[in-house]
Amino acid sequence: MKFSLNGLYIESYTKCANCGVLIYEASAEDSARKKVHDGSIYCSQECVDWKLDRDARRAKAAV
Amino acid sequence: MDFVTMNILESSMVSLCKEMGIVLMKTSYSTIFNEALDFTCGLADMNGDMIAVADYCPAQIGGMPLLVKSCLKEIPIDEIEEGDVILHNDPYRGGLHTPEHTFFKPIFVDGEIMGFAVAIGHIAEVGGMAPGGFCGEATEIFQEGLRIPPVKIKKRGKDNIEVWKLLLANVRTPRVNYGDLRALIAAVDLGEKQMTQIYKKYGKEKIKETVNDLLLYSERRMRAELEAIPDGIYAFSDTIESDGIDAERTYTVAVEVHKRGGEIIVDYHGSSPQASGPINATLGVATSAAYNAVLHMTDPTIPRNSGCFRPIRVMAPPGTIVNVDFPAPEVGGNTETHPRIVGTILGAMAPAIPNRVMAAEGATHCNFVFGGVDADTGEYFACYDLEAVGWGGRAFADGNDGVDSINGNCRITPVEVYETRFPWRIESLAFNVDAGGAGEFRGGVGYSKQMLCLNDEIICSQMTDRHLLAPWGLNGGTEGGVGATLVMKNGREDWQTMREAYGKASTSRYSNVSIRRGDRVRLVTPGGGGYGEPAKRDPAAVAEDVREGYVSKAAAQKHYGYQEA
Repeated sequence: MKFSLNGLYIESYTKCANCGVLIYEASAEDSARKKVHDGSIYCSQECVDWKLDRDARRAKAAV
Repeated sequence: MDFVTMNILESSMVSLCKEMGIVLMKTSYSTIFNEALDFTCGLADMNGDMIAVADYCPAQIGGMPLLVKSCLKEIPIDEIEEGDVILHNDPYRGGLHTPEHTFFKPIFVDGEIMGFAVAIGHIAEVGGMAPGGFCGEATEIFQEGLRIPPVKIKKRGKDNIEVWKLLLANVRTPRVNYGDLRALIAAVDLGEKQMTQIYKKYGKEKIKETVNDLLLYSERRMRAELEAIPDGIYAFSDTIESDGIDAERTYTVAVEVHKRGGEIIVDYHGSSPQASGPINATLGVATSAAYNAVLHMTDPTIPRNSGCFRPIRVMAPPGTIVNVDFPAPEVGGNTETHPRIVGTILGAMAPAIPNRVMAAEGATHCNFVFGGVDADTGEYFACYDLEAVGWGGRAFADGNDGVDSINGNCRITPVEVYETRFPWRIESLAFNVDAGGAGEFRGGVGYSKQMLCLNDEIICSQMTDRHLLAPWGLNGGTEGGVGATLVMKNGREDWQTMREAYGKASTSRYSNVSIRRGDRVRLVTPGGGGYGEPAKRDPAAVAEDVREGYVSKAAAQKHYGYQEA
């Protein structure tokens, strides 16, 4: 989530593409944990792994 | 771990939370607080973790940790001073829905912040396009009322007058809102005052240590409960009948529950993209609903705090009906989609723990809201009226009859109070015959409430569900009865749906219908689904249902082979 320079309003909301939590641009903790995968932002490597596992499982089930 | 001290402290804190609720109930102005008890009071540590809560509204209990933590991301702890009270309702930053206002006050001991007293309450009138806050036809957040980021409504013990003026200029009932907001502040004032005494009695270090133990204890007990459930991936989905904008389009709530040892992960991927209308849930709702479902499936004696939530994770994809993106509407997500999510999780877990789940409940709070200028007093009135539904049958008992949906735990407003406070006459309020799904254990029944308008005009809106798609039965039980909202205009003798009478897209979600003096409105609430094969139902229970009027003789013959003695 990105605030305007004056801090008075939100310019954009950034959420983890997997679990949906807000990722705060100003948070050092959030910035350290976040990952980019296939053009999407994730809050952590754990969410990237979860997404990949789910995709693989669902692809296998579809076959 | 000192169990004796831990139990005494836990009981003291829960008791304090109950007292906070009683203060709120007794000092508030609106029926939604002093009759329905649509609020929750709790205590949090300085990280925002919930350390104690009273058994008021489950939607708010599960939502509390994310709410407080989200606010603390914007107002750092070192900027919070003694006597401050922080207010927040923003659905996109940890909130549940626009009417849900969260207040929290820091607890300082010897100049050090130890935690927070928290009160969350549903404010009945929040501005926006419809009186009462539930605009069934809203297509963006700005129509749903005033959105409040985390702000200090009190600074160092003094009212922040500018915030008050802004709040009260944007609602239809400022006098009543003022009273309700004060009641919420009174609750956190009490929490802060009494918790400070508890800290002084036991000492800061002892409380810190004991609270840490308490959260660990809850976590361990929850993990032990979850470990007893067979591992696996359990999937289920349910359908929401409309969003109020496109009446022909349905929406899917899909869950995969991953049960692994002592933890549970609820994955909502596969749920529908967010709707144009106000059925979207926020992340706070999706999280709270998962917690709520797990609490319903596990030992109710586990102390309710953030510890028991640690083994539960939620995956709520953004831009869907379980995690709405700005600026889509969301007011119905907390009341309609939350119970639907809980039911979907219970449905998923039915094969694993059939004795701990139930068939579908009505899963709506009916949310009939209205407002207008009282002809007698000249004052604007507004009401958020919630109604009760039938719950699903269980493996050991019938569903509850006429109880608020699974995330509310609220009371319905008594007829006498309703008639005194608002210009309606309640002509009848009666359980619906044959509305509980048949089964070895039948579903609970909903009811019908018929009201006569006594004012020149009352502007009504609604955000409900289950008018078309009935609550499902489980393990051979049949569907529960659907709900309805009907109007009989003055001078007519037939009942019409809102679509027929006013040309609305949906019968269950609409905004700003003008009900006139002499018009009648009938609210029919859905029943719950049945559990188990009807043929297995105890004949004595069938006979009792017929005798008591829950089931007609014809339905008893059809479902149970009933023969009159």
